[in-house]
Amino acid sequence: MNLETVRARAGPRAFSPADDLPEEYREAATRMIEFHANSEIMGAYLERPFIRQAPSIDRKLAYSAKVQDEIGHGQLLYRAAESLGVKSREEMLEDLANGDGKFLNCFHYPMESWVETPMIAFFVDGAAMRRQATLRRTSWEPYAHAMDKVCFEEGFHVKHGEDILRELMTGSRKERRLTQEAFETWWPRIIQFFGPTDDRSTHHDFAVSVGLKQRSNDELRNAFLDQYIPKARNYGLEIPDEPRIREREDGTYEVEEGDLDWDEFFTVAKNEYEPGREQIRGRRTAQEAVQWVREAIERDGAAGSHAPRAAD
Amino acid sequence: MIWEVFRQERPGEYHAHCGNVHAPDRELARQFAAIQHGRRKPTNSLWVVPRDEIGEIDAEDVAFGGTTDKSYRWATTYSTAGADASEVAESEDDQADAEQRRGES
Repeated sequence: MNLETVRARAGPRAFSPADDLPEEYREAATRMIEFHANSEIMGAYLERPFIRQAPSIDRKLAYSAKVQDEIGHGQLLYRAAESLGVKSREEMLEDLANGDGKFLNCFHYPMESWVETPMIAFFVDGAAMRRQATLRRTSWEPYAHAMDKVCFEEGFHVKHGEDILRELMTGSRKERRLTQEAFETWWPRIIQFFGPTDDRSTHHDFAVSVGLKQRSNDELRNAFLDQYIPKARNYGLEIPDEPRIREREDGTYEVEEGDLDWDEFFTVAKNEYEPGREQIRGRRTAQEAVQWVREAIERDGAAGSHAPRAAD
Repeated sequence: MIWEVFRQERPGEYHAHCGNVHAPDRELARQFAAIQHGRRKPTNSLWVVPRDEIGEIDAEDVAFGGTTDKSYRWATTYSTAGADASEVAESEDDQADAEQRRGES
């Protein structure tokens, strides 16, 4: 199939591994899905310390389940990416470990306190879900199928994150103040989740023309603001003055892009932001520390051994 | 030799098990599957798989989903204020549906 045919036939779930697809499509899809997979993994590593720091047994259980889900989403997505035949799962994981693999801006920033957790678990997951819901109609069928399962599970993550926010914002005055401060720190990064405005986006036009992406960065960012600004206000959070956000006559919102720090964003995007490099190193160290577990599993598997158990 | 057959109705959908065929080799299995399972119902693609190649684990071997209370894993557990984003509401509905059907079995 040539690129012209791909463009003509592009539609939701239009292409599968049975199709002979041009290099340009397969590379663009690999880049997009690998980025998504890496982000799931790096997000899980960012949140993992809070399993230990959770303030109650209920939160600990839910938080641990969520982190486990995110790692699972990463695995699903590496499979969807691998099926394009450009890069193997091992190569993608290797690139993530050595700092070549790219991932979401928000997961380059350290998270230090429990009051920050809803910034990821509610707002970033909420933003991700806005985007992922549209990707159920992507043209690469294995990606769309992965999104079906991801979206099924992700509702719990967002609701749980919102529940943490509700608890903090109905807590003591100190909790409310610290949560507001965390929100002010994270808010610009959360808005940048959707990437640069459409006319500065490098890969957007191609991805749309072959059906990989369904909605533009700007459309998604605005859809996020429309839904999540009222949510934030509802819990008593004040929206920071910057970046300026304009309310249109119909009650929807638009952000003043120039108020955001795009130099920092592109530094982050290139894996050149020092705290982000620390996240990458932290994951690599954790991977090395549990190498013996992977080796034990492989040895055990080779021996034939015991009956499998369903994941409990 | 028995080959299990999975049918996909339209491009992009899932291949779902729809029956099996007797055939001595893969080529004939594909032809028989096309005739027996691809004619009457809408079909975009069929997979044929040797039955011996399929691994199975069932509810007698294992308690699927475990035996402990995992209500913390469901969106329905968390009551939050105000209308949820449509995709969050859809996920919650799908989870409620799955939870109910698991309870029925």
